[in-house]
Amino acid sequence: MRRYLAARVGQSLVVVLLVTAISFLLIRLAPGDPFSFVGDYAISDAVRDRLRAQFGYDRPLIEQFLLFLGNVARGHLGYSHSMHRDVGSVIADALPRTLLLMGAALVASFAIGIGVGALQAVRHGSWLDRSTSGILLLFYSIPDFWLALMALLAFAYWLPIFPAGGMVDQVMHDYMSFGGRVRDVIAHLILPSLTLALLGAAGIARFQRAALLEVLPQDYVRTARAKGLAERGVVFKHALRNALLPIITLVGLSLPALVGGAFFVEKVFSWPGMGYIAANAIASRDYDLVTGTVIVGGIMVALGSLLADLLYAAADPRLRAR
Amino acid sequence: MRSNMRSKIPSLITCIALVSCTGREASVSNTATGGTVVVVVPGDAHTFFPPHIEEGIGAAVREQLYERLADMGDDMNTVGDKGFTPRLAERWDWAPDSLSVAFHIDPRARWHDGDPVRASDVRFSYRLFTDPKVGSTTEIPNVDSVSVRDSLTAVVWYKKHRPEEFYDLVYQLYVMPEHLLKDIPLEDLRKSDVTRRGIGSGRFRLVRWDAGQRIELVADTANHRGRAKLDRVIWSVVPDAGAAIAQLLGGQADFLEFIPIDQLHLLDSSKTLRPAPYPNFQYAFLGFNLVDPKSPARPHPIFGDVRVRRALSMALDRRAMLQNVFGKIGRLSYGPFPRTIAFADTTLTVPPFNVDAAKALLDSAGWREPNPGAVRQKNGQPLKFSLITPVSSRPRVAYSVLIQEQWRKVGAQVDIEQLQANAAGDRQRSHNFDASLIAQSPDPSPSGYQQQWGSSGVPPNGQNWVSYRSPAYDALLDSALTTFDAAKTRAYMRRAFQLQIADAPAVWLYDVPTVGGIHKRIQYAPMRPDGWWIHLADWTIAPNERIERDRVGLGATTR
Repeated sequence: MRRYLAARVGQSLVVVLLVTAISFLLIRLAPGDPFSFVGDYAISDAVRDRLRAQFGYDRPLIEQFLLFLGNVARGHLGYSHSMHRDVGSVIADALPRTLLLMGAALVASFAIGIGVGALQAVRHGSWLDRSTSGILLLFYSIPDFWLALMALLAFAYWLPIFPAGGMVDQVMHDYMSFGGRVRDVIAHLILPSLTLALLGAAGIARFQRAALLEVLPQDYVRTARAKGLAERGVVFKHALRNALLPIITLVGLSLPALVGGAFFVEKVFSWPGMGYIAANAIASRDYDLVTGTVIVGGIMVALGSLLADLLYAAADPRLRAR
Repeated sequence: MRSNMRSKIPSLITCIALVSCTGREASVSNTATGGTVVVVVPGDAHTFFPPHIEEGIGAAVREQLYERLADMGDDMNTVGDKGFTPRLAERWDWAPDSLSVAFHIDPRARWHDGDPVRASDVRFSYRLFTDPKVGSTTEIPNVDSVSVRDSLTAVVWYKKHRPEEFYDLVYQLYVMPEHLLKDIPLEDLRKSDVTRRGIGSGRFRLVRWDAGQRIELVADTANHRGRAKLDRVIWSVVPDAGAAIAQLLGGQADFLEFIPIDQLHLLDSSKTLRPAPYPNFQYAFLGFNLVDPKSPARPHPIFGDVRVRRALSMALDRRAMLQNVFGKIGRLSYGPFPRTIAFADTTLTVPPFNVDAAKALLDSAGWREPNPGAVRQKNGQPLKFSLITPVSSRPRVAYSVLIQEQWRKVGAQVDIEQLQANAAGDRQRSHNFDASLIAQSPDPSPSGYQQQWGSSGVPPNGQNWVSYRSPAYDALLDSALTTFDAAKTRAYMRRAFQLQIADAPAVWLYDVPTVGGIHKRIQYAPMRPDGWWIHLADWTIAPNERIERDRVGLGATTR
């Protein structure tokens, strides 16, 4: 098991390194640089050249990359020109916010997905199964940014029951009691997390439905029914428990999708997390911040994948024995 | 609406609730002052540090935190000091030869940390704007030096006596605190935390900047020019345009500086919002690159010929496009200037819309149709080129499609390239384009035209993106810049504009209309074309119209 774990960590490191190299290269190949802003306050080429030299952007790409890697190894992710702060501190602020959003979305997506999938399997072939399948397919096909905008329009404008964006009330938050502040954050969290959750739940429900359909005809389920157990007990205590095994894998595998989804959803809801800062960093060609967010995103995805393997091993004794 | 619901909550209950819940004192403002304005903006400021300002949001905040020595009047005059009003300087005296001017600092002026403002701060600030190590985004070229006569008198020495010498200095130079910045190496200012603190002498002071989220200012109650009438202004960063409008409509924000034309109807149907149209200096045009993208020393293979440029200009129905894209709020361009500029001239004649004349002109230039409806050719080369359009500008994207169709009818094939603003800027800067839809804001002075249309402004030195070069035009700009008579300035500029229109380096399309959306409870002071925010400290909210967030007051932040 330890050897397996070491191998997986090694693979993850290689993936993160590759992702870092690719993002480092791609952002520099894109037109413009952190000082190429064109507007009423465009800086002169002389000043721009001076700044490029000051920050080392005039050096060969390979030299820049090696310097960057050296700094990363020492824990320095560089300097954000758009935020005028160290990338490390920008990410330290943004990461917990993204984890909060993703955590809430993950819990909600599994709760919805498992519940709906189980219901579909139990009512297999009914109109409920067919109609929820159609609805899930719709959610599965909807682009995340569009769903976010529609949620915003519906629940922040037409039916204004949730705030339209941000993480807290910009003016009143500091003047609220502790409980009020918590409620304020939750109120701001609901729309973005539910948007992400609905997108993720669609896939989870399909998996759950298929897994339960595979389990329901098995002998031990028939035996439970023959013993006179109530149908609810048969499904939830016996069938669903065993049908959850493949779903556990999805916990880790959902992370990449959530990281990707959060990119757009955070932007639409002005949720100041990793996706939000990454989108702004790309637009302003903030080289170090783009690469820094990609590194952290890559680590999150690699950890998610590792977590999926570990959870699966923990749940399945056959794998654990290998 | 949330704001409506909030407004019904009795103020007394709100105040008691606020104090009991937080333990922080929410000071109740008096009737003349008070209120909070939340401005929703698409991006954060990169910095407020005056020499490094790069974008409008940074400029808006800088204007509240820092002061100029004097400010232009609302008539936007840039010649001499007529109309200029005192700011940090309570008065100024000219030397008899007009080569120097002594600014007398208001003795009541204090930095936001409590230290007095001194004449040496003016000298230090001038250094920050001009030392290449700082990397300033603005230049003050005609000033030779700044000296200190006494602690409250700074003397500015000019290289030459010029009509706009006063404007050149006071409009660009924001005064910064020497005592806080002097020990920081100049090349490190860009990364310094001190420059992020925004300590100036303006009527608002910075209390909070959550990078990427919000910027919060409160009234400086001890300001020498009187405290701001609002208690608090918050710039709330919402990058998504749809979400920004949703925040405005939902009552989370009070002002959005730009409402897209296709969303203006939302303001009409809102009970809490109203449109706030305001002037600006921006005008849009279609620029023809006059140099060969592959070899900028040579003329462009198509647009090097003025007959082609004129013909393509005449093939466009500018009025119909304006109506199509902007409806009633559109304003047609009369030339390379916005109407808000002091020397704008709406009597100039631009090439008329005439498709037959356009075709004849193309024929005479040697660009002929091999068969009816086909793309024209000259010496085997098709009349085919690309048109850059910034994808972020919906009006210009719409214009690009309309232009493509109209030029197709005269035998020109246009490939539209929709690019991000950064990418479009890079292409323009490196001369690597054929034609581009550009929106530009000139300074309210002829000197801005040297940068944007004069030979000296051809990249990399300025923003003359199309590389327009005309010695006669340059000479007229020089003349406009050396006369002290405003009427003569107008006359020189009129001749320069007419010459430029005849040379057709561009098709003059429209004055960019700007309509903001604002909460009805806010009474805003006149908005100036150089920035809606210039008089932000004089915006008011009547006591009987204040909502919950207006009653927060200055909190624990009062100086």
